Amino acid sequence: MRKDPNISRYWKCQLAGWTIASLYWTFTGALYGGFQLGLGLAQLISDVLLYVLITHLYRNFALSNKWQDLALDRLVPRLVIAIPVMAVIYTLVTVLKLYGIKALFPHPGHQSLELFFRLNGLNIFMAGIRLMAIWLLAYHLYHYARREIRIAGEKSKLELSFKEAQLNNLSAQLNPHFLFNALNTIKSLIYTQPDAAGRGVDLLSELLRSGLYKGNTMLVPLEEEIAIAKDYLELESLRLEERLSYEFDIEENIPQVSVPRLSVQTLVENAVKHGIVHEKSGGKVSVSVSFRDDLLVIRVLNPGTLTLTEEGSGIGLQNLKERLLIRYKGKATFNLCQNDKQVCAEIKIPVI
Amino acid sequence: MKSIKALIIDDERSARAEMGRMLKKYPQVTVIGEAADADEAQDMILLLKPDLLFLDIQMPGRSGFDLLESLEHLPHVIFVTAFDTYALQAFEVSALDYLMKPVREERFAKAMDLVLKGLEEKAEPTVFVKDRGKYFLIKWHTVHLVESVDNYARLHFGTEQVLLRSSLNKLEDNPDCSMFFRASRGQMFNLNFVRSAEKNDEGMTVLLQTGDRIQLSERQAVKFRNLRFS
Repeated sequence: MRKDPNISRYWKCQLAGWTIASLYWTFTGALYGGFQLGLGLAQLISDVLLYVLITHLYRNFALSNKWQDLALDRLVPRLVIAIPVMAVIYTLVTVLKLYGIKALFPHPGHQSLELFFRLNGLNIFMAGIRLMAIWLLAYHLYHYARREIRIAGEKSKLELSFKEAQLNNLSAQLNPHFLFNALNTIKSLIYTQPDAAGRGVDLLSELLRSGLYKGNTMLVPLEEEIAIAKDYLELESLRLEERLSYEFDIEENIPQVSVPRLSVQTLVENAVKHGIVHEKSGGKVSVSVSFRDDLLVIRVLNPGTLTLTEEGSGIGLQNLKERLLIRYKGKATFNLCQNDKQVCAEIKIPVI
Repeated sequence: MKSIKALIIDDERSARAEMGRMLKKYPQVTVIGEAADADEAQDMILLLKPDLLFLDIQMPGRSGFDLLESLEHLPHVIFVTAFDTYALQAFEVSALDYLMKPVREERFAKAMDLVLKGLEEKAEPTVFVKDRGKYFLIKWHTVHLVESVDNYARLHFGTEQVLLRSSLNKLEDNPDCSMFFRASRGQMFNLNFVRSAEKNDEGMTVLLQTGDRIQLSERQAVKFRNLRFS
């Protein structure tokens, strides 16, 4: 129990709360009718033990019914019922306890349990309503606040991660090496092949537009993402010429689906940056998209060898992994593997 | 003035074309060839002996740095790169010029001014060394002592030293290193650094301006004396 600070905090609150309440009762009792040490101790011990017990049983009940995860509007009606029920239990326990203590500590004038109950029951029940309302509200509001904080934290983490992705993407799209090489290619083409130069400007503009000025959209339709990847590859092939070829193989049964922005683009960029440009004779980047068992599978193949440093150092890939993890809560996967001089990068995204 | 022979080394054809286009404005420079990678470039350099290299750093296979390291005689080099600040930071001696792609006309003119001036004067033989992740461009006349360490030669210059992948025999044959005298199997020193020489039982001790003492055998001492009085 000590390992979990929440449980130990819960027990501290339980013991401290009921001890203080019990001491208060003893104090007010002493003001009116004198103080007996033995009686006071018996009251204190029985108060703490019994009230901790019944509220703890309630807590177990609430936990097993996941009441701590309920929204406020669904929780309140349950509490409206739970508080009187708990007050009734409190009344029964308290009457029996008080009657038992009375029997242990001889007192002038014997009452039957029934009479005792009739005389004190209503007061005890009203006290029970008050006490249980306080206990239940404190308990649930505490958890409600904690849950809100946690949700806010998760939300801001998602937003932060996306902002980071956006930034990384900015630096990836504007990856200086890529950007300046592209500009240099276009400059050269202006003198030799003006039409190709014009096409280069179009492609670069499109990439900058989708990379920088698309606002906060986290998910984009798959077709749009594929189009960006195609633009990227076409622009790189203006630069690398016959060293870069590429093909897209998109199955026909793909449902209308959205994917994280620049996910496919990140994969093809890495395929060029870490694969093609290191090969003197270049090679082919193959992108395939398929749909199996409710999973969208996007696979990018390129010639080359996977090195450990590259696997760890790619900011773009690292960021993509994080975005997948947060967006799909672990249900999406990312894999990098190597077989036979080919590097394969694959993401699987659940389609809901 | 004789024509300057230039070689353009870049893996992208369009980048080579662009460099060629810019060079058209300099009639004193003749582009004698283009290479798409370091291996191709190395063969062309040995064969065509260019005076000037326009060199990209990142290329498939060996990099531009690797290429320079493998050259015994270094032509004048201008790096042309898209964005390699991190590679350029590795320079210990930034004597090499570098241009950023796309290259601005004015910037290119500046680099060419320096080249033309430098090539008019007698170029000082230099060597390109990669040691402990740093790149050094060292003028041979600043090196006072070379020692043999396994398969390497340790170059002492100023208060620094670097390891060059070369044997002393190979360096002795390199015309760029004609100012060195082979003292023994393990050492050669720069004749321009000699302060004094003193005869002793085993032959001769040479004292360099840097304070280094070098022992010469009887045979080498005779050779050294003949050299001095010839």
